[in-house]
Amino acid sequence: MNKILLIIQREYLSRVKKKSFIVMTLLTPIIIASFYGLIIYFSIEGVKGTHSKVAVVNNNKTLTEQLASTKNISYTYVNQSLEDMKASFKKTDYDYILYLPPFELSEPKGIQLLGTKQAGLSLNGRISGDVENMIRNQKLKASGIAQSDLDGLKTNVDIDNKKIGESGKEEDSSAGASTIIGTVAGILMFMFIMLYGIQVMRGVIEEKTSRIIEIMISSVKPFQLMMGKIVGIALVGLTQFILWIVLTASISTIAVTTLVGKDELKQRTSSMNIKAKDGSTINTPMTSAVDSPVLSMQKSLASLPLTKIILVFIFFFIGGYLFYSALYAAIGSAVDSETETQQFMMPVMMPLLVGYALSLSVVTNDPYGPVAFWLSMIPFTSPIAMVVRLPYGVPDWQLALSMLILVVGFVGTVWLASRIYQVGILMYGKKTSLKEMIKWFAYKN
Amino acid sequence: MLIINNIVKQYAAHRALDDVSLRVEKGKIFGLLGPNGAGKTSLIRIITQITAPDSGEVIFNGERLNVKHISQIGYLPEERGLYKKMEIGEQVLYLARLKGLSTPEATKRIRYWFEKLDMADWWNKKVEDLSKGMQQKVQFVATVLHKPELIILDEPFSGFDPVNADVIKNEILELNKEGATFIFSTHRMESVEELCDNIALIHKSKKILDGPMAEIKAQYRNNTYWLEYQGEYNFENAREIFEVLENTTTAHKTRLKIKIREHRNANQVLSALLPYVSINRLDEVIPTMNDIFIEKVTQQS
Repeated sequence: MNKILLIIQREYLSRVKKKSFIVMTLLTPIIIASFYGLIIYFSIEGVKGTHSKVAVVNNNKTLTEQLASTKNISYTYVNQSLEDMKASFKKTDYDYILYLPPFELSEPKGIQLLGTKQAGLSLNGRISGDVENMIRNQKLKASGIAQSDLDGLKTNVDIDNKKIGESGKEEDSSAGASTIIGTVAGILMFMFIMLYGIQVMRGVIEEKTSRIIEIMISSVKPFQLMMGKIVGIALVGLTQFILWIVLTASISTIAVTTLVGKDELKQRTSSMNIKAKDGSTINTPMTSAVDSPVLSMQKSLASLPLTKIILVFIFFFIGGYLFYSALYAAIGSAVDSETETQQFMMPVMMPLLVGYALSLSVVTNDPYGPVAFWLSMIPFTSPIAMVVRLPYGVPDWQLALSMLILVVGFVGTVWLASRIYQVGILMYGKKTSLKEMIKWFAYKN
Repeated sequence: MLIINNIVKQYAAHRALDDVSLRVEKGKIFGLLGPNGAGKTSLIRIITQITAPDSGEVIFNGERLNVKHISQIGYLPEERGLYKKMEIGEQVLYLARLKGLSTPEATKRIRYWFEKLDMADWWNKKVEDLSKGMQQKVQFVATVLHKPELIILDEPFSGFDPVNADVIKNEILELNKEGATFIFSTHRMESVEELCDNIALIHKSKKILDGPMAEIKAQYRNNTYWLEYQGEYNFENAREIFEVLENTTTAHKTRLKIKIREHRNANQVLSALLPYVSINRLDEVIPTMNDIFIEKVTQQS
């Protein structure tokens, strides 16, 4: 068997057989799946929702409009003073007291929400929204608009994101789903490159500190040893990635069906569809607002080209990993222990971190802008930026160009790293500076 | 079998080897000696093709050294180790397969060697569970497993207790008898004396001495003898023939280390003494490799 294959085999098996690998590979999908399951569970439970009873003490004579109860909040006007209500509050079954003091409509000040427990942000927001609505209605009426006209003004707008595809056909798309998939892919890419790149570095340092390196390179070329290690660890990464996808997919399917129950899920899907088409369900705006993200998410997930995303992800993982792991191998070869790696880690980590941070902020906000374009072209950042951009749709020529640049990039770093590596692995007990590493290029081997 | 011609190796500002030429005969044990930092490891790394020389050439069995010779050379480096987390058997198998052995053949040979060196039950042990000496044994097996024609050992006995050092020494001699050529790099001169046929001494990147060990030792004889006799004789009377370097006389015997003067010889010592005393011993003090090593190195610096 070819020597490099033997090395790949050892690097692969010795890692895959490790307990930590097996545990990580099995546990992560369970965590992801149960997280996903919990989100679905709570969003469905959330529709039923918590219900708050609010007693309204209105001391404002100018306010003639009343607060209308909604699905989550019921407002009851009480004819008591605030002091009386506070005194008897514990005996009543109200959750909160809403106090409306006298104020000018143009300057509503001093409104208070009182309760034994602090109201959450969302409840606070809802109530203030309701009060604002009420004041607005009263102002509108004052300017002579009839109640019937007011009702007619309420419209519920849901924007359906449609993207015009290459062939001119409409495609369903959802900014939310694209952002989530892009972000998850970006985080995964960052994690994979970091984790496995550092494993390459550790492997090289281990060979150096355990002094097996000289035995090894009397049988194989340093380049074979380095590439064997890099490829072997890449295969470990791919194995883990594919297992994660398969396991997460199957566990979440099981989790969703057992948590929610098949029938209920079906029912909800169909009832939602009716609501979406029918404009008359306006009266309960809260319901659709809570329901739709989950369902539209599932819908637009299905509309995204997931297979393409996974394949491109794998390509950019391999490319980006090769690009960075070669640099990590060079670092590993130049030091005697992991504590010495700090000074070299910074320059290598920085572009990856910058790419990560910019991809998750600038690129998700403006996936077609110049920053997104350049980030997804420069090989230091392209693996992350490109997978973040991908769900929004990337022109094929850009994808191809970025892939080409990445391939050229990793051939370059591998070449560069192998020159440093073959000198570095034989240097013991000497602190290496960046300047010295550059000198090593001149060595003839 | 191995001819090294005018090797030069330069590392940045440091010249590790300066025009070194050597010749290693087939079936011999060749001692490569020199103080720390002299350039021995640099030379060995060139022979094992870990690095290439800046100029000069290495001829292996009549051919310029190339990649296919890797499987014909076994190398036990001074800085040596094993993968800590790997099992011994698996590890030696891996190293053997990297040298081109097939799995069944390698397994067979590993079992043979493990049996022979009393390590039969080590197969499933991990390296981190072994003592340093035990690890050395494993490394020795890995070095010789693929039956290399040329075996290069850098400080092979460091870390061994005397019993195991002896076991390894006997294995070296046995392999040598079967035809393997050895290059043996060490600071321990007593093992050089025991094992080596030829030696070369490298100092400050240059070869300063080489040849068959017996000849080199003969060159460094300096007419010093041990003389031991019983009887009354005042050796001051013979001061024209020899001078006394050491006197360790006891009640029964006179014991002297003498240096015979120029143009005199041992026979003259005997004829001067014979009429008076009974002589127990007169033998030449052959210089040890240790003496020669120290003399050559200090003389050069």
